[in-house]
Amino acid sequence: MEDKQLNEKESLELIAQMIRNTQKKMEKGSGIPFLIWGYVTIAVSLTVWYLLGKTGNPNWNFLWFAIPVIGFPVMLLTMRKKTALPKTYIDKVISYVWIVVGVSALIPSMAAAVIHDFPVLFLVVLLISIGTAITGFVIKFLPLVISGFMGMLLSILCLTLRASLDSILVFAALFLLVQVIPGHILNYKSRRSHV
Amino acid sequence: MFKELDPLLHSELRLAIMSILLSVEEADFVYLKEQTKATSGNLSVQIDKLNEAGYIKVERGFQGKRTRTVCKITPVGVKAFEDYVESLKGYLNL
Repeated sequence: MEDKQLNEKESLELIAQMIRNTQKKMEKGSGIPFLIWGYVTIAVSLTVWYLLGKTGNPNWNFLWFAIPVIGFPVMLLTMRKKTALPKTYIDKVISYVWIVVGVSALIPSMAAAVIHDFPVLFLVVLLISIGTAITGFVIKFLPLVISGFMGMLLSILCLTLRASLDSILVFAALFLLVQVIPGHILNYKSRRSHV
Repeated sequence: MFKELDPLLHSELRLAIMSILLSVEEADFVYLKEQTKATSGNLSVQIDKLNEAGYIKVERGFQGKRTRTVCKITPVGVKAFEDYVESLKGYLNL
């Protein structure tokens, strides 16, 4: 393309073509953030479940804070390797959704450190499932919508079982449902859209 | 009476850059080069012209060890683009 003058019809055609080209394919590795947070949360949950069951020492609950401590640096490292694809308004909306969901999930986690019998696992699963469903609607990706709504519904299990250690296992299983499984499907689809 | 077409936008490469930036939040130099198939030198010159006119904002930074130039359309650019399309419609009797 050069710095040449166009006639009016060519101008309109060029505008339409350029806008069409920016309707980008799904970016390769779109599911990676879901996989990072999903696997880190499951690993920490199972560790806490095991240690609490083995020792009965409630101080092991502080290990939950390993999720953001491990998750954020890993996310930052993977985000640095981004491709040259342009950032769209959809990317921006998704970032904002997860900033809001992430911050609101941290609040019940902090509350649980000081309030006895606080339903933190229920609230965190509910919030993360809401984030997953919204992301699914925004990028028009049905598996995310379905797993998000299933997560919202099943989060009640964490509430009803909250007096038992099993609620932690349910919590880990729900993260598998709302983060890991849709993350892998998203990665698979984005890889295929680049073939 | 036809409105005069904005000479800054009535050029193939500058119009292509503006059309891309209108539909994304931001785009980097490499992407613009891929989409427009322009040479780096020519693309730089046209980006500078649009930047000087206030139609786009250019941010130069680093991504790892590499330099990265990111372009965004400004509200002035959006308005100029809208006016340009309105003028085009007049010429084409749309």
